[in-house]
Amino acid sequence: MQPRTRTLVKIGVLVLAAGGFYLLAAHKHAQREEVRQTAVSVTPACVEKLSRYALERGEYYRSPYVVQRTGTVSTRRGYGDEDIRAIQRGCNIMDDTQGRQATDVSRERWNATRFIRGNHAACSHCHQGIGDKQDAKGNRLKGSLSIGASWVMADMYDRFTGLLLPFELRQMQCYINSSNGYKPNIADDVIRDVTAYSRFLSAALDLKIGNHYDEQGIDEIAASDTLKQGDDYVRGEALYKHKCMSCHGRQAFGLEANGRLVAPALAGPNAWNMQSRNYFYYVSTILPGFICRNMPLGQENTLTNQECRDIAYYISNLPRPAGDRQGPIVALKQQFLMTVMPPLLRLTSPDDAEKPAHGTRERVQ
Amino acid sequence: MKARALKYQAILWQHWPRLNGDLVVGLTLALVTIPQAVAFSVTLAGVPPHFGIYAAIWGVLFCALLNPSRVFHGGPNNSMSAAIGVILLPIAPPFGAEYMGYALTLGLMAGLIQLMFYAVRPLGRMLDLISEPVINGFICGIGLFLIFKSLTTFGGLPLNTEVEWPLWIAWHSFLALTEIGNMYAIEIGLITLVTCVIAQQFERLRNWAILLGIAAGTLYSQILTATVGLENTGVEQIGNLASIGFITPSLPIFRQEAMPDIIAIVPGAVTLALLGLFQTVAAMRRMSRKVGGFTDSRRAIFSDAVSNCVLPFLSSLPTCASFNRMWLVHRLGIHSRIAIAISALWVMVLVLFFAGVIAIIPMPAMAAVIILLGINMLKWEDIKPHLKNRREAVVFIGSFLSVLFLDLFEAVILGSIVAIAYAKWEQAHPNISLQGNVLKIRGNIYYGSLPVVESMYHGAIASRDKLVIDLSECYYIDHEGIRWLAAAKRAGKATFIDRRSGSDRRGVADADTADGSSREPGAVVHRRSKPDRRRRSDF
Repeated sequence: MQPRTRTLVKIGVLVLAAGGFYLLAAHKHAQREEVRQTAVSVTPACVEKLSRYALERGEYYRSPYVVQRTGTVSTRRGYGDEDIRAIQRGCNIMDDTQGRQATDVSRERWNATRFIRGNHAACSHCHQGIGDKQDAKGNRLKGSLSIGASWVMADMYDRFTGLLLPFELRQMQCYINSSNGYKPNIADDVIRDVTAYSRFLSAALDLKIGNHYDEQGIDEIAASDTLKQGDDYVRGEALYKHKCMSCHGRQAFGLEANGRLVAPALAGPNAWNMQSRNYFYYVSTILPGFICRNMPLGQENTLTNQECRDIAYYISNLPRPAGDRQGPIVALKQQFLMTVMPPLLRLTSPDDAEKPAHGTRERVQ
Repeated sequence: MKARALKYQAILWQHWPRLNGDLVVGLTLALVTIPQAVAFSVTLAGVPPHFGIYAAIWGVLFCALLNPSRVFHGGPNNSMSAAIGVILLPIAPPFGAEYMGYALTLGLMAGLIQLMFYAVRPLGRMLDLISEPVINGFICGIGLFLIFKSLTTFGGLPLNTEVEWPLWIAWHSFLALTEIGNMYAIEIGLITLVTCVIAQQFERLRNWAILLGIAAGTLYSQILTATVGLENTGVEQIGNLASIGFITPSLPIFRQEAMPDIIAIVPGAVTLALLGLFQTVAAMRRMSRKVGGFTDSRRAIFSDAVSNCVLPFLSSLPTCASFNRMWLVHRLGIHSRIAIAISALWVMVLVLFFAGVIAIIPMPAMAAVIILLGINMLKWEDIKPHLKNRREAVVFIGSFLSVLFLDLFEAVILGSIVAIAYAKWEQAHPNISLQGNVLKIRGNIYYGSLPVVESMYHGAIASRDKLVIDLSECYYIDHEGIRWLAAAKRAGKATFIDRRSGSDRRGVADADTADGSSREPGAVVHRRSKPDRRRRSDF
């Protein structure tokens, strides 16, 4: 081939490749725009939550919750159709991150599952009540990880890294907990829609920017909050069997029934990883704080601080995935443990493994 | 006076074509270095941009003066910058005064450790154990890594802060680019990339290719800004560097109360020092071979060490070789330290006088240039020779994959260990053949290979009364090997032959005579007529 012809062919191939890539990007962008313009199929829990807070199109927004709680009317800027769709999508992602209730997961949950390891984890497992947990009287609960309260503390300093983290990067921390090796870009719709929902919650609950509320984050429990008996694996195991096993299973691998997730995994391939702040050896105060304030369901605040730390200590000793930055060797080791430990445990304590604690069957059915 | 002026003018005219080339290459290098310097310091090291800019000025200048290699380009380095961020994150919050002080202390400690590698010769010699397949695997891995890492900037997306496995990043970055990338940024990036590659196809435009690409990308970005508005395009630009001065003196922290933290970062300083030296030695050897030259690695160690001892006093990040910029120097075809020194001066001039012009260069255009550099580092003609030999292929692929799955430092260590282990394994398995009653040994007889040799010998001697051991292609025999051969000779069942040519034998004899050494039976004779210093036994 002549040098000039070769050059022309090279240039032609390059222009074709660049053009092809551009067309692919344009096509994907059009698809995304279509998703954003389409009416949202909202989950039943989100329908209840959003209608309770009277989310509808209008120039002004007045929260019925505020009227009910304080007797005063708080008027805020209203929402357009596009805002409402973003809030609905955000609520869907919080409530049903894995798209178990969706007909087309990648479109309706905007690929949220792409970033999560396993098929259990959902935002609402930690951020209970779809990020807005209240008791029967409508009181917001301390240490319940309210995302509305989290939004009004947007751009806060992270006490672990000392970095000023915007709300989007704090959401990223959640993805690190159960990361599938890659976090969504902070410009991703998964992050934007959840931000829209969080902002709406803060408006509905009339939370003020810059204020700290008790329901924000975890009510952490340090060793100094106990009688300093020391965290104990054996006590933790006994407590787990007594208080947690009925929902989360003998080996804490979670329970599923008829395609429905009864309780999420606390260990094993579907659980949070070793770089999560839930991991006791990484941060020892967060998981105990979550357990004390949010577990067992319906009996919150019944465990002592030491009991919560013992349970957290026990759970964190069970095999779970390695974090992204721990490298392939640790990942392989954890994979090996997750494969080998369950049958070994079944062999060594067959009674426990085969007979779920009382109550499990009832819950599953 | 006039005559002298005319003389200088004549000299200038005489060297103008060369100087012109150096100026263009220097400008190209400077334009590529500035955004890298800003990005490395802010996004990786957690320090203000002037740290990277001063590394691009003083680091490059010191290396150009101290390192005799004609293609060596120092300055800010991505893996060193990332290492600084990782080491200092638990010590102090980034961008704070203390953090910056510790960053300077860390750089100085790394420089002093590198100086130790220069002073203690065996330590420096250890760096030479990095073989060419390791280096090429390393380069290809980094090339791919650069492409992956630039994808998000290419698409105008914010960088994610966490470091994950690059192959996984690549795929998801690509998906993110197509789904949520900024279309304006993608257009700018593609225009820059296509312009660069088209210009590279023409000999006369080759040196200008990257500059033309950046100019095309910037021009299109400016057209977009004028028609659509910067607030609507949302395309990130390099930003104004006008606050950066000629020089900013600084002092590393060495206060009494900071000592616990300083002691805590000593292992990090060792890692940083080795990371720099490995890259410098590997890159310099690779690129020197490319241009047909040779530079003693000790000179490079000295250059890095001295630079890194001085740079912490100039508010600068530490320096080491940059694979991608050295590749660019090579691609541009001018191998001269003057061009590299000029690039540092260009950075200074651009930052001091043209900060406003640099400010409008769009980041997607810079990402496109880095992607192009990454593509250029993946050369099939460099990879192919390593795949023909099994040992080299294992080492090359191991090193290449390590860069992608581990970090750069671990990749070099692992690649070198695999290379050494494989070489030792091969040496321990000499090629031994038995034809009739002749046992021919090709390879080395030493403590590692003796079990293999002995096994064959005893197998052969069991069925034969007499055995001839042919040592013609035996390269090396250690003392243990000599003792075994002597024992075999005493047993009386084996005789030894050596079918080397007459000239070989004379060479050995001449060398012995020249040494004036006596030759005793069983003594090891060193052949000096060949450079590989083979040892042979004389029986």
